[in-house]
Amino acid sequence: MVRGYSRPRSLDEALEMLARLTPRALPIAGGTDLLVDLREGRLGECHLVDISRLEELKVLEKRSGKIRVGAGLTFSEVERSGLLRECAPVLVKASSQVGSLQIRNVGTIGGNVAHCSPAADTIPALLVHRARVVLRSSNGSREVALEALLGGPYKALLAPGELITEFVLEDASHMWGEFSKIGRRRELAIARLSLAALARKEDGRIGELYLALGAGTPVPRRMESAERALLGKRPQEGDLWEAGWLMAQEMVSVSGPRPSTHYKEKAACGLLVRTLLPLLEDGS
Amino acid sequence: MNPEEKIRISFRLNGREVEAHVLPGETALHLLRERLGLRGVKEGCGIGECGACTIVVDKKAVNSCLMLAAQLHGCEVLTVEGLESPVGLHPLQEAFLEHDAIQCGYCTPGMLLSAYALIISRGVPTREEIVRALAGNLCRCTGYHQIVDAVQDAARRMAGKEEGRW
Repeated sequence: MVRGYSRPRSLDEALEMLARLTPRALPIAGGTDLLVDLREGRLGECHLVDISRLEELKVLEKRSGKIRVGAGLTFSEVERSGLLRECAPVLVKASSQVGSLQIRNVGTIGGNVAHCSPAADTIPALLVHRARVVLRSSNGSREVALEALLGGPYKALLAPGELITEFVLEDASHMWGEFSKIGRRRELAIARLSLAALARKEDGRIGELYLALGAGTPVPRRMESAERALLGKRPQEGDLWEAGWLMAQEMVSVSGPRPSTHYKEKAACGLLVRTLLPLLEDGS
Repeated sequence: MNPEEKIRISFRLNGREVEAHVLPGETALHLLRERLGLRGVKEGCGIGECGACTIVVDKKAVNSCLMLAAQLHGCEVLTVEGLESPVGLHPLQEAFLEHDAIQCGYCTPGMLLSAYALIISRGVPTREEIVRALAGNLCRCTGYHQIVDAVQDAARRMAGKEEGRW
């Protein structure tokens, strides 16, 4: 039940409101997840604090080799940004595959992370960009690795009154990136599995590789066994299948056996092969 | 806290200034359809999957079922009722009729508004751009081809003539 609604005019005012109205305060940005929860009766007594128009959450800049991306940017804004197309290609590709245009026009990357769905599209992308998260509350600010924020399905580890204000990404200019997902249909489908990949080749060898799987584990996570298997190699297709199998095993070891495991093991393996094919010697 | 607390908002709706008092958890869809009587705003799924409730807010297509009424404050809002002008149907509406892009008609207002937002931002879009922009609008009758044809045709007719109505 929503008991109140406020639209603060500045970030400081928003933080002050969140602190004052805790624990009922609930920030709303695009609302595309929150209004579904509201409709399904999953929200308790709450007071909505509308942060969708705060300019302070729309930062977008390259500074000292890092890319600062405001948490309030919509998926459409991320998709259109020239800076991000150049420096954060996987985030751009993931954002362009979220929901539908109507959802991308209002949904934000900060909201996607705070909602913390296992199938959130931008979380695997932010993981391969090695994102750090800047959090603010009326008491101050802190910065943590994104991994440290992902507490479990739909459980971002935000302190009461705390807001994600921005993500700080490593500069991925000149790197190859891809985001692929398996859904029940091409558009508007929740990912059954998704894979974010960021790589750099040096003289035909894989010099850097970051992989993160979505919807395969309770929260999206980096798949380091597969990364290690391919680093330094001039991969042949067989190497991709081997890495895919390692990734599937890592997924199962984290999630435990589930009814969908039999399918997801093979699907994860195939998803990795399909996604990384352009990295093969002749595909480069 | 007073559970009846209402929020006063004002926004431009189909070119006219309107004021309303809304509940904190009220959706834009509820305000527009049930209280302001704009029956072109349809509730299909209510969770942002079908696009029947699509409206244009500040020149962008959005799902009105996933937006709070309070969030309309200060915005320019267009529903299908605002597409038609005193001189007649909008070129998009004409094109939908000519191309038989309508059967039951339930998805049509949302389709028109998604198409409208696309055309005012992109001019004459490619077929691929049209398909992508309409991907969030489900139609269970037409099979989509006629709709895409109609949008393409209307975009050509509108070329350069419309900057965005409201």
